[in-house]
Amino acid sequence: MSVNIKEGWEPKILAFCCNWCTYTGADLAGLNRMKYPENVRVARVPCSSRVNPQFVIRAFQKGCDGVLVCGCHPGDCHYVTGNYFTRRRFMLMKKLLEYNGIDPNRFQARWISGSEAAKFRDTVTRVSEQIKELGPNVKFREGRWS
Amino acid sequence: MNDIETKLRETVKRLLADHTVRYVIGWEATRFEDKTRPAFISDSADTDRLVWNKYCVSSLAKYALDEQHSEGKIGICVRGCDSRAVCRLIEDKQLLRENLYLIGLPCDDKEMNICDTCTHRNPVIYDELVGEPVLERQADRFAMVGLMEAMSADERYSFWESNYSKCIRCYACRNICPACNCRACYADQERVGWQGKQMNTAQNQIYGLTRTYHVGDRCIECGECERVCPMMIPVMLQTRKMLKDINEMFGDYECGLPDGRAPVLGEYTLGDADDFM
Repeated sequence: MSVNIKEGWEPKILAFCCNWCTYTGADLAGLNRMKYPENVRVARVPCSSRVNPQFVIRAFQKGCDGVLVCGCHPGDCHYVTGNYFTRRRFMLMKKLLEYNGIDPNRFQARWISGSEAAKFRDTVTRVSEQIKELGPNVKFREGRWS
Repeated sequence: MNDIETKLRETVKRLLADHTVRYVIGWEATRFEDKTRPAFISDSADTDRLVWNKYCVSSLAKYALDEQHSEGKIGICVRGCDSRAVCRLIEDKQLLRENLYLIGLPCDDKEMNICDTCTHRNPVIYDELVGEPVLERQADRFAMVGLMEAMSADERYSFWESNYSKCIRCYACRNICPACNCRACYADQERVGWQGKQMNTAQNQIYGLTRTYHVGDRCIECGECERVCPMMIPVMLQTRKMLKDINEMFGDYECGLPDGRAPVLGEYTLGDADDFM
């Protein structure tokens, strides 16, 4: 899969952030004037278990180069058990994606709490660096989005 | 005509004569020697239509879904895989056990690839067994998956891409699958953007992956999806990957057995690994 990387190419990363923890964490990062890469687009979801694994495939298809799913730490879920289901789902989904040829770094999941603004910044920075190294994603992509 | 076939016909005749069941689903001969088709026998005079041979390969369990809301029993001929399919449908609250009369048929003579890795040749649930139980064999269900995993990521991607580029989205794999029992399938929804209707590889890949994920933890490994695929896409190779992961992460796991174990994605434990995070 060789791709000609255009000059000035920047990755598009979609971050699903749970409303109660990670989104608040991202908010706090903003309040603290922390600097993190602009490549990340935050999508607020009520709970990380709201993220249907299909969203992930759909994101790759529609032009994202990386997908990040973030939620509350185990035990902290606002809906009590949501993130336990997230964990199982994406544990299997990640392996299935790898089996289908997606680089493991393109799809990542993290627990980030409302107070972990620095962790949010670090995660996003790291993911962005990893994806930049990998280059644009062409797998699963629909023709008109490439 | 073989012994089991004779016994099967007698059994069905008896069940219909004493009104135990309204009709029986089995297999009948077609004009092709090497093909059979599902038969629905409601008249005891018709029992001679039933056959039992190595070409009885189609899964029958899903036809019972037509009788979800009917009263009275129906009979189904079940091989190992059919009985697991029935278990699947009962566990998914689609069928009631008391509305079914299961005629078990130990099965050891089928010549499909998937049958080489069969671990349940005898029916796991039945009301009556026709013929003698056969020897169960040990099989490495995940050998092919292992071969796939040994390939590089790009090779795997090309493999699946070329396979899904053939897909004509007939949804036969979904229609035959006993784990696919949603009343409305996401793939049929018209307005919601889950699944594009256009025929291109990207959409086919979405369909393939989503289908795999939807059935992955409830797959009974009957291999019907692969058998019915008109484009010869190795569908089970995807599902088995998920099952292999489940086996590795949650211990030995087989679906469609009457052991009351819930599908792994329907439950959780506090100690699940999150090393992938």
